[in-house]
Amino acid sequence: MDYAVIESYLPLYKDALALTLKIGWQGIALSLLVGLAGAAILHFKIRILKTITGIYIELFRNTPLLVQLFFLYFALPKIGIKITAQTCGVLGLGLLGGAYMIESFRSGLESIAVIQTESALSLGMTKEQTFIYVILPQAVSISVPGLLANVIFLLKETSVFSTISLMDLMFTAKDLIGMYAKTIECLFLLVVFYLIMLLPVSILGSILERRLRYAGFGD
Amino acid sequence: MKKNLFNKVTGLALVSALAMTGLTACSSTGAAGSNTANNTASSDTDNSESSSQGFRTLDEIKESGVINIGVFSDKSPFGYVDENGDYAGYDVYLAERLGQDLGVEINYVSTEAANRIEYLQTGKVDIILANFTVTEERAQEVDFALPYMNVALGVVSPEGAVIDSLDSIGADDQVIVISGTTAETYLTKNYPDIKLQKYDAYAEAKTAFENGNGVAWANDNTEVIAFSLENEGYVVGIPSLGDQDTIAPAVTKGNETLLAWLNDELVALGSENFFHAGYEATLLETYGADYEDTLVIEPSKN
Repeated sequence: MDYAVIESYLPLYKDALALTLKIGWQGIALSLLVGLAGAAILHFKIRILKTITGIYIELFRNTPLLVQLFFLYFALPKIGIKITAQTCGVLGLGLLGGAYMIESFRSGLESIAVIQTESALSLGMTKEQTFIYVILPQAVSISVPGLLANVIFLLKETSVFSTISLMDLMFTAKDLIGMYAKTIECLFLLVVFYLIMLLPVSILGSILERRLRYAGFGD
Repeated sequence: MKKNLFNKVTGLALVSALAMTGLTACSSTGAAGSNTANNTASSDTDNSESSSQGFRTLDEIKESGVINIGVFSDKSPFGYVDENGDYAGYDVYLAERLGQDLGVEINYVSTEAANRIEYLQTGKVDIILANFTVTEERAQEVDFALPYMNVALGVVSPEGAVIDSLDSIGADDQVIVISGTTAETYLTKNYPDIKLQKYDAYAEAKTAFENGNGVAWANDNTEVIAFSLENEGYVVGIPSLGDQDTIAPAVTKGNETLLAWLNDELVALGSENFFHAGYEATLLETYGADYEDTLVIEPSKN
């Protein structure tokens, strides 16, 4: 392994990490919003929206991100809708992640005993108040492990961004190998940078999980 | 906690480093095995990992009855998959003949521009016949046989906004290139200020260009000329850029038996004007007769 080569590639990998994180976190924020909204729709069993959410979940959970990105980036411009590669990345991650986040939030919501809703309602709280102040906080704390798994999953999914010309970590490595054929150095840096990105998330996640375990009621 | 965290990070970094060195070690022992039949490559085992990878000698290929040839699957008219699902094109025309003369079956392996060197170095293919331009950098990683085609770089742009000089490209404009091509290397080296939009496959770069994602597309001039002839509304504003290069088959570095056979074969084919026939069978439809003598090389001994 040639350390001079590694050093000269470092700035490129840093740029790639910055881009991956930027798109990654925006996409994850979007997916959390979608997830929360979708879970609320399912929780309240709002008629038509419930069906739409169901279709959305199945559609996005059963197609690869690569296909979704292809559609957003290559197909939409053909019918006149043009969005930048970065927006495509954020949208793709957000929509894919949203489908998974809904399911994570829903499993949390469903694990809260019905008696709590009934009690809250009988105390005179409205349906919305019950959801926001009683059910949701407990559900979220239960959903945390699932949500974090989704976050890590989504950050790793950024590795298919090369198709839409985004210089993420994976593409930077492939591109450098294609140009200069320093395979071992490039792949070593790739592994190290993915770890730099994901290890803190994993570690923070396990801390968060431990803290939030006490938010539950009764046990 | 802090220390614990630090340990975890360094530990994992170490593990990955070990895994990497393990990979290198494995591949060099693999090479040692194949070098028994071919002891010429054994002298330079440690200067670069590329020269110590495994490959199959000519005899091993003949014995197995199958040769693995790396071609493009999306670069019409050089290497592509036709409507019947078969590989076709100028490169494939040559590949078919090589298989025939060698008396073995051909297993086509679809490659992308950026992984052509890799495929040879890891022994996934025996020969690359994927419009591989000969460059100094690449010649350090693989062994090129005699060239069979001329090529330079070219830049195609839409009719309404023709780019006829690289200086007219604005600071915010993006030029489409394919990762791992000579166009990418050339622009990166000589025009570092031009923003490149990189794709890893021809099909995607084409679609992106058609969608108007870049002001121009830089690639082998053969490719951009074909594009402008096949698609309305595009002009090759810069038909020749950089050095005149050649395209040649490539084998894994050090695979001398296969290289020697390939060179003899190419010379034999050149003496029967095989490549003009290849042009007429595969490229004529796209380029017309005008380009035949500029593009085709009939390999000869000198």
